[in-house]
Amino acid sequence: MNSASLHQFSTPTILLLMLAFYGGTYLLTLGIRKKKEDADAFMVSNHRIGFGIGAASMTATWIWAASFYAAATSGYTYGVSGPIHYGLWGALMILFIYPFGRRFRKLAPNAHTLGELIHARHGSSSQLILALSNVLGSVISLMVNFTAAGALVSVLSPLSFQAGVIIAGVGVLLYTLWSGFRASVLTDFAQLVALMAIAVVIIPAVFFAMGGPSELVAGLDNLTAEQADFFSMDAILNQGAPFFVAVLAYAIGNQTISQRLFAVNEEHIKPTFLTATVGYGAIVIGLGMIGLMALTLGIEPLNGDMNNLIPQMVSSYLPPVFIALFFILVIGSLSSTADSDLSALSAIMMADVYGKNLARGKADPQRMLLVGRLTMIIATAAGIVFASFSLDILVMLVFVGALWGAIVFPVIASCFWDRITNAAFTTSVLVAMVMFCLARFEWLPLAGATGLLFELLASIGGGVIIGLMVFGFLGRTMGFLAGILALAAMLVFATGFLREYTVLLASLTAYGTSTLVCVVMSLASRQERFDFATIGERVGDYDHIQGAPAEASRRQPTPPKDATPLAGQR
Amino acid sequence: MNLLYGFYVLVWPALTLGVLVLICRAVLRDRRDARREQRELV
Repeated sequence: MNSASLHQFSTPTILLLMLAFYGGTYLLTLGIRKKKEDADAFMVSNHRIGFGIGAASMTATWIWAASFYAAATSGYTYGVSGPIHYGLWGALMILFIYPFGRRFRKLAPNAHTLGELIHARHGSSSQLILALSNVLGSVISLMVNFTAAGALVSVLSPLSFQAGVIIAGVGVLLYTLWSGFRASVLTDFAQLVALMAIAVVIIPAVFFAMGGPSELVAGLDNLTAEQADFFSMDAILNQGAPFFVAVLAYAIGNQTISQRLFAVNEEHIKPTFLTATVGYGAIVIGLGMIGLMALTLGIEPLNGDMNNLIPQMVSSYLPPVFIALFFILVIGSLSSTADSDLSALSAIMMADVYGKNLARGKADPQRMLLVGRLTMIIATAAGIVFASFSLDILVMLVFVGALWGAIVFPVIASCFWDRITNAAFTTSVLVAMVMFCLARFEWLPLAGATGLLFELLASIGGGVIIGLMVFGFLGRTMGFLAGILALAAMLVFATGFLREYTVLLASLTAYGTSTLVCVVMSLASRQERFDFATIGERVGDYDHIQGAPAEASRRQPTPPKDATPLAGQR
Repeated sequence: MNLLYGFYVLVWPALTLGVLVLICRAVLRDRRDARREQRELV
């Protein structure tokens, strides 16, 4: 079997589906709407989100439209192990951040963004670097999600790409604008239930409709030796390893995750993130299996576009009602991520930019809300415009990925080691970015001594990643041990070899350089050691000041007697 | 081989169903707790 055409819905049908989805979501948010919203709740609810809503929101946020398409593409390209090499590492991004998240929360229980914590630890320059990386990431994510909506609408109906982009953008903005993060987490639950239920039905339905296990096994003959191998080196080096490198970077660089870390009830952080890890992995790997099914059947993607694989399989083997379910699945996944990005962007502008840098501790909560809502409107407009013009964002994506990699060590170390300085944080990130660009764009020939230098830095980067991951779960000694072993292994196996994989080399170089510069500068500094207890005093709520009866305020550390309580800085 | 590959494909929707049930039950519990403590769910 080769390519098959996609089922086409009429314009009224597709409009009705979108109206039902966005209308239903909007009606859901009316139940929690308040005439006068609270600035803190607009950013992180009441810091006491329960396990169920928290886990649902974390899972729904992390699953975006590209998750399904990319997992299926991985299954189609790399065969048996392909879906695992996409979904497993994506899931581990959630898992590996929670030990650090608990530390962030302990240091700043009433924070709204990770940037606020870094501001209290270091000051504005480090905070704004983190905020910039978060903003770029969320704007890219918005654009990608709106693009996915436009693409899906245009391939399944006579409606244009732009129409799909605009409907999705306006739909998401309408239900998120008034209540912010509260609306985002509540609707995430409903959207997740829909997309999980649909995934549970669609995967077995396609599997058995195509002929079941016997047909899949028979089709394994169509695979290359690498594709049929569960331990394929091709899949590991080209799909798994670059993703593994990004495990910590994506989670640190993403305000949507930190926002949930600060919103979930502190006692529930661990079960929330564990459940989200399993939930994300199961859905994404499961839908990736449809790519593997297509490969075993010898199906060619329509118009050579891998994004058509899942709709093609559903169109070929199932009745139109399943295409409608698949449509809701994708719209639900992209909307849940887009509303989280809008909430993340508004929190960054409210707390990091307005609260900490413009108002400088004298923030007016009502003005903060206005800043947050205006941010949402501008971000949605920007996302729609960028998506409509189908801008090439590859360079921006590469740049943001590098920035996220470069900030991992400085951010984590700043929360555990009292010697890290603001100058070390800022300089290390900037130097790492320069080194990344030199390697990634091959501005220097990666041969001879230069190649060896970059491989050395990349080896340090590899050691840092493994060391941090182990440190998060098993503590400092085991982290150091694992990091040194990983560094030694990298020095033996990567030198003279890693320069052939510039994407991987450059990413690891960013980690290694920022760590090296940050550690050397901090050790050389004579600055007084930092007292972590002061962070909790410097990061507080904006609405509940001076004796306000909020539960969150009661849990704050008592400020020194001579300190004047200010909004957002108590 | 049929059994092995059948399991490999179908274990993911089964896990998804398990997580779905777990989350729905937890949300009902969250809702009950919020009502008892007279606070909002989100």
